[in-house]
Amino acid sequence: MLSAFRSALATPDLRRKILFVLGIVAVYRVGAMLPSPGVSYPNIQKCIEGVDNQSIYQLLNLFSGGALLQLSVFALGIMPYITASIIIQLLRVVIPRFEQLHKEGQSGQAKLTQYTRYLTIGLGVLQATGIVAMADRGQLFGECPDPVIPDSTVFTLAIIVLTMTAGTALIMWFGELITERGIGNGMSLLIFVNIAARIPAEGGNILQNAGGLVFGIVCLFGLLIIVAVVFLEQGQRRIPVQYAKRMVGRRMYGGTSTYLPMKVNQAGVIPIIFASSLLYLPDLITRLAGDTNSWWARFVADHLTSQSDWVHIAFYFAMIIFFTYFYISIQFNPNERADDMKRYGGFIPGIRPGRPTAEYLSFVLSRITLPGSIYLGIIAVLPNFFLDLTGDGQNQNFPFGGAAVLIMVGVGLDTVKQIESQLMQRNYEGFLK
Amino acid sequence: MAAFMRRVKDRFGRLLDRPATVDLSRYQELLKSIDWREAKLEKLSDEELTETATKLRERDFDEKTMAELCGVGREAARRALDERPYDVQLLGVMQLLAGNIVQMATGEGKTLAGALAAAGYAIQGKPVHVMSVNDYLARRDAEWMGPVYALLGVSVGWVSQTSTPEERREAYAKDVTYGSVSEIGFDLLRDRLATDVAEMVGREPGVVLVDEADSVLIDEAKVPLVLAGSSAEAETDPEVAKIVRTLRPGAHYQRDEDGRNAWLTGRGAKVVERALGDVDLYSGEHSDRLAAVNAALHAHALLERDVDYIVRDGKVHLINSSRGRIALRQRWPDGLQAAVEAKERLRPTESGEVLDSISVQGLIGRYPTVCGMTGTAVAVAEQLREFYQLRVAVIPPNTPCVREDEPDRLYDTVEAKEEAIVAEIASVHETGRPILIGTRDVAESERLAKMLADADVTCVVLNAKNDAEEAAIVAEAGAYDAVTVSTQMAGRGTDIRLGGRDGADHDKVAELGGLLVIGTGRYQSSRLDDQLRGRAGRQGDPGGSVMFASLADDQVVQYAPDATAGAEPDDDGRLEDPTTQRFVDHAQKVSEGVQLEIHRNTWRYTRLIEHQRKVLLEHRDELLTTDLAVTELAALCPERWEELTEEHSEETLQLAARQIMLYHLDERWTEHLAFLADVRETIHLRALAKETPIDEFHRTAIPVFKQIPDEIGERAAETLKKVEVTEEGAALERVGLRRPSATWTYMVHDNPFETDAEQALQRVRAMIKKVKGGSRRAAT
Repeated sequence: MLSAFRSALATPDLRRKILFVLGIVAVYRVGAMLPSPGVSYPNIQKCIEGVDNQSIYQLLNLFSGGALLQLSVFALGIMPYITASIIIQLLRVVIPRFEQLHKEGQSGQAKLTQYTRYLTIGLGVLQATGIVAMADRGQLFGECPDPVIPDSTVFTLAIIVLTMTAGTALIMWFGELITERGIGNGMSLLIFVNIAARIPAEGGNILQNAGGLVFGIVCLFGLLIIVAVVFLEQGQRRIPVQYAKRMVGRRMYGGTSTYLPMKVNQAGVIPIIFASSLLYLPDLITRLAGDTNSWWARFVADHLTSQSDWVHIAFYFAMIIFFTYFYISIQFNPNERADDMKRYGGFIPGIRPGRPTAEYLSFVLSRITLPGSIYLGIIAVLPNFFLDLTGDGQNQNFPFGGAAVLIMVGVGLDTVKQIESQLMQRNYEGFLK
Repeated sequence: MAAFMRRVKDRFGRLLDRPATVDLSRYQELLKSIDWREAKLEKLSDEELTETATKLRERDFDEKTMAELCGVGREAARRALDERPYDVQLLGVMQLLAGNIVQMATGEGKTLAGALAAAGYAIQGKPVHVMSVNDYLARRDAEWMGPVYALLGVSVGWVSQTSTPEERREAYAKDVTYGSVSEIGFDLLRDRLATDVAEMVGREPGVVLVDEADSVLIDEAKVPLVLAGSSAEAETDPEVAKIVRTLRPGAHYQRDEDGRNAWLTGRGAKVVERALGDVDLYSGEHSDRLAAVNAALHAHALLERDVDYIVRDGKVHLINSSRGRIALRQRWPDGLQAAVEAKERLRPTESGEVLDSISVQGLIGRYPTVCGMTGTAVAVAEQLREFYQLRVAVIPPNTPCVREDEPDRLYDTVEAKEEAIVAEIASVHETGRPILIGTRDVAESERLAKMLADADVTCVVLNAKNDAEEAAIVAEAGAYDAVTVSTQMAGRGTDIRLGGRDGADHDKVAELGGLLVIGTGRYQSSRLDDQLRGRAGRQGDPGGSVMFASLADDQVVQYAPDATAGAEPDDDGRLEDPTTQRFVDHAQKVSEGVQLEIHRNTWRYTRLIEHQRKVLLEHRDELLTTDLAVTELAALCPERWEELTEEHSEETLQLAARQIMLYHLDERWTEHLAFLADVRETIHLRALAKETPIDEFHRTAIPVFKQIPDEIGERAAETLKKVEVTEEGAALERVGLRRPSATWTYMVHDNPFETDAEQALQRVRAMIKKVKGGSRRAAT
């Protein structure tokens, strides 16, 4: 691992790419801390200290690396771009013209990318306006007495909106630059950076609130979780396949290299995000309904909202398992896979193509999904058991827990793999001697 | 300041309009100094002219030398061919010498421009290969331009399929060598398998000048050149062909809409298994049987006689779909050839295995300098830059083109379209105006010829079946009263002069409107359409073109399956609404996208293979030219080596050692290629585990490759222990090791799979359609 990095840095081409990514990340972090013009920096710091961590913007704030609540130049982060590309993808289903463009190969797809960029800017303006409006009315931080934007003329507000939108466009460009000229996927890397950037701050929080011993334990524990996640993320079940199109006589080639892989965690991080968003709902409903005295409201407040309560934990765990199965059933269709293999002359030795293959695949899939889902559940709930230790302020968006670790490890593994494969392509030295 | 602004604007304009094109203004300046030299050069005798050209060899090749070369070249062409090159042709020469792809319209004299540029490179002391699309053109151009080269003191040669190794060696030793891309490619591949330095025919690559560059660099590049050799045993299974012949589509097997894949249904598999004597095809033990069945099914269900191949002299000849002509010495891989032979009840020919392969990119990439010329380059400028780092220079025509391109004529069915085409031909033919009809495949050209005969129009058919005379026929396509039906690229590279080859009736034909080009359907890309149109209106002649298309054309059905007419067709089935036109255009764009994707995919995967090949070839060269084989074998197997040194001379041993090592190296590479092909086939499945297939391909291929040298050594040592050494080296045949004899090329297809996201989206779309359909049904 370390030697891989060393040789990566020794390859001029790769070194340039890695330094390029690091440079962009540095600029990105500076922008994330740079307050927008017209925003009172001291007041914001005061407000953030008093902020209730249960705030619904917490997840957004995490993804923007804390830039959102800072009202910085890059407050919106990469989210508008991601949202825009998802919207454009979905629009292809509805708008035939988009679908036609998509099919027309490079030139058509370039046009779609262009649309995505326009939409990103549009979303950026919308979100920036929303956030600025909320900040101006003091809604962003709950009950914070200090005005975040002291000079709240329309002109100042417009400047802030403009700045944030420009920031969004810049981040979009950064992301594309990384994908194009650096290593890995730009968008994922920027999210990775955002999450990772929260670690020192949250760690500092724990150190201050709970003392050195707890801090040490949490660090050790975080490390253990990361190791476990890395281990399980790479877990695969490999089903051998043969493609009997080739008549080569004498011997079988491909051998152990031709297989159909299934990941232990096939669903990725999505079930955790689904489950945690759903668990916010009851709380939101009771607040909106405004009654605090019915048995339901009390139940919600006592058991569902409180993250260290066993009811909450059990619900959370069960929902993750449910969503894992649910998501995999949408994402992986054994019938289609079997059909595809049949079309191209592939089969699993010992199993007939078509329906028997589909049945076999879904059997293996359901077998492997059980440990996969339990693993996801455990990763997600573990931090909740430590809430007593780390203090009330921490919820599961804490960077060592659940979604955050999975995203970070996922992106990290992908990037390392890419570096590795580029290295392999270049390093033939010592081959012939 | 204003000038600066204008320049900036100009730059930006160029950036936006024409990606990867070249600015010509600087070279236009040089033309003046060439003109100025002309009077002086005219006075020289032939010998003095040659001497002037030869003297240029000693000078540094700067702009002044280039101008001088152009002057000498112009004079040489005037004397040798009685053709004084136009200024625009010289512009083309200079662009070729600058290492660009030159776009020149048909009839502007590309061949001459290419020859002068080749001479220019030769004068710089670099060996030049001029690559053309086929043997006929290579030979014609070499012989036609021979006198020009002679006056310039440059030697020239050509290779064709029938050349002997000695002829090849001689041709490659010349300053300039003409050859088709496949001949030059296969000569390289064969050289890479030589076991003796004396067997090799080629030499170090210098400059390649590609004629019809888009055709060679883009169209042909989708398919790598694959050299195959006959393997020990021929594997045929006439029994399987007999069984498969009884299968019925739908019940026993199914086909893709795009005709690329066929597969057995459950019932079909049962029928086959029973007929084969109750074997379980899918147990994993009968993979060879299953592969034979799949090949037979492919031959039976997907390959059509007279479209994909023709049978002549009891042999199956493949048809190159991109050019509509017979692909000589080409075969299908992986037992498919044998399956087709069994289908046609022919005697099986020997089967083979892949010995080596190279992509067109890999071949072109070997040359330090690359340039080329074509009539249609701008449309592929982006791709030329992506795959070859080449830029395009657009040379203006000498006289502007006045061809009239009519808008497409669209019909709802193929029948209506063909009726309209025949009617149009008949009515134009009455006036005596010459017509050239471009069809998309051999079968279509035959069908159309028959329909024309029924309508009492006599026509000449030009397709893969009589390609020997095609150049002569095409040259006459502009004669008064001529009707020529031709497949896509038949006769490419030959000028169509109005009024016939001698231009006798030029004015009469010009008065009628010149040559009319009719396309019977859109080609795979708009560039190919343009090539067809470009056959009319050369050198400022009048001419016209029109394309016919229908909503039932294969291209539309395949790439725009939901195409519907925007209006009711009129009584003749003609559609004149913009929606239909849009669908036809869309289908072509999708097709272009698919072609590009195939090209890119091939390249991404072959790049690694070619890199590995290069590393191994360095090792091979060392074995071939040094005594490395001796040192390695002596170290690997000291006792036996000791024994042998007592019995044989050092030279014999060196020969034997070399033969053994090279045999195992080549064999191991063949195996490695088969392994990679196998891995390549399943690698897309890795995307299921969120891995990147191309990265995983590398991850799988590289460790295996790294073991190769050790394995070669082990096997060689093993052989050394058993083999008998005679005066001619090691008697490998006697221990059952036989080098492949005959070689041929493979027709290879690439099946890019759709991505997972694509599939997910399709599912959603299908769901929506179902819901829509459901609600509509509920409403009625």
